[in-house]
Amino acid sequence: MIKVENLSFTYPKSKESVLKNLNFEIGEGEIFGFLGPSGAGKSTTQKILYKILGDYSGDISINNKPLKNWGNEYYEKIGVGFELPNHYLKLSAKENLQLFASFYSEKNLLDFDELFETFGLENDADKRVEEYSKGMKMRLNFIRAIMHNPDILFFDEPTSGLDPVNAQKIKQHITKLKTQGKTIFVTTHDMNTADELCDRVSFISDGEIRVTEKPSILKNTHGKHAVKVELQNGQTAEFPIKDLGSNPKFLEFIASNEILRINTLEATLEEVFIKVTGAKLSE
Amino acid sequence: MKTLVNAAINDFRLVFRDNSLKIFLILPIFILPVVRYGFPYVTEIYSFLREYISILLMFAVMQGAVTFGFIYSMVLVDEKDTNVAKVYGVLPISKFWFVIFRLIPPFLFASLATFLLLLFQTFYDLPLISNLAFSALTGFVAPLMIIFIAIVAENKIEAMTWQKLFSIPLYLPILAFFVPTVVSFFLAIFPTFWVYQGFDSLINGGNFWIYILIGFAHSLLLLAWLVKKFNKLHFM
Repeated sequence: MIKVENLSFTYPKSKESVLKNLNFEIGEGEIFGFLGPSGAGKSTTQKILYKILGDYSGDISINNKPLKNWGNEYYEKIGVGFELPNHYLKLSAKENLQLFASFYSEKNLLDFDELFETFGLENDADKRVEEYSKGMKMRLNFIRAIMHNPDILFFDEPTSGLDPVNAQKIKQHITKLKTQGKTIFVTTHDMNTADELCDRVSFISDGEIRVTEKPSILKNTHGKHAVKVELQNGQTAEFPIKDLGSNPKFLEFIASNEILRINTLEATLEEVFIKVTGAKLSE
Repeated sequence: MKTLVNAAINDFRLVFRDNSLKIFLILPIFILPVVRYGFPYVTEIYSFLREYISILLMFAVMQGAVTFGFIYSMVLVDEKDTNVAKVYGVLPISKFWFVIFRLIPPFLFASLATFLLLLFQTFYDLPLISNLAFSALTGFVAPLMIIFIAIVAENKIEAMTWQKLFSIPLYLPILAFFVPTVVSFFLAIFPTFWVYQGFDSLINGGNFWIYILIGFAHSLLLLAWLVKKFNKLHFM
């Protein structure tokens, strides 16, 4: 479990705070999304959480123990999936994993062959990483993050550079990790990924959390409580969801022609983000 | 312990898989026959060079340390350039010892290259213990160079430029033999000053052990400071 209270951070030699009074909590078996444009403070927050950056103010506790009190054993408990592929290009995928795995307790390590097979790399495990495509390297990044079976996982843009099939595979695996009780922290500016994966999201902009909520609630709150009906003849109309079944105008409208589609008018996460923060996610 | 040894072995594997680095490994071996047979031959033809044979040997000695310094600095710089260093930042290891262990092989290789070169040269009969101590001191030049370059260079191209610039403080202290003593003391800030002075006292007589001990202390303090700085930057 991760608990962050009043977290602020200023880089040395900088006058302005990068993070301002952040508060959030991530439970076991939860996927928490940190959404924001580049430079919003997502990576800084992650670096603090995996103890690369110190000298922050506020309190962070991991499994009820202050982060500052954790030693190197902390890294047995966490797995980090970096945004960009980072492997030794002259080594094979297997050699890369074997090297990094040698730093962890052997008892926690997962079966490499099984992992390669799960992510479709079984036939390329002995190839040098310099021969890999970006998507393959990203899958290897993912395998490296989970190979020591950590309790807490940090994923930075987990589906970046992946084709739709492999992106789906990664998302399914993250969901599987959630069902195993892992605490998962995802930073992304891809609202579709966040919407699909996260139980709760925080919108961060200019170092401040603007809102923390379930994606469904955000979309619902900031969207219209209405449905849009489109008929085969091209006619469209909107009707309030309340008492929709007994709304005579709605019933008359759908009886007038074949229905092409009916959509709820909830907002997308991106629309909510823009509304709440005034910034754009793709910045 | 085993894992740290693994990391050190992996560095060697990386060097061997990089054709441009692998070729440099033979350079210290190539220097041995040059010193053994080339130097006596040249000094026989150009007798005025006999006066400078100790300087020539100092240059030759430094080549081994510089070569291994260069090779291993490339491994660390490449690691930074490809962001692999970030992975080490989140591993359950002591960053300090991790770096120290990775510096041990280049230190040993550089020391061995120096030791063999002094053993192969035919101009001076050097006591074994003194040769070992002097070789170890010279060996420190490699880790110092590695860490310095890994701190300042962001990629291999920058590393090569810095390697050239590193040659200045590396060879500058040789000037101490040609300038007044007062001026030469300013050169004592460079670790190689103690290497050159140590070598001079080894062949011409003098306070060899004092130079060696000060040299060790100087190199170790400088190395500890650089490693601390390196650890703050490398794993970000």
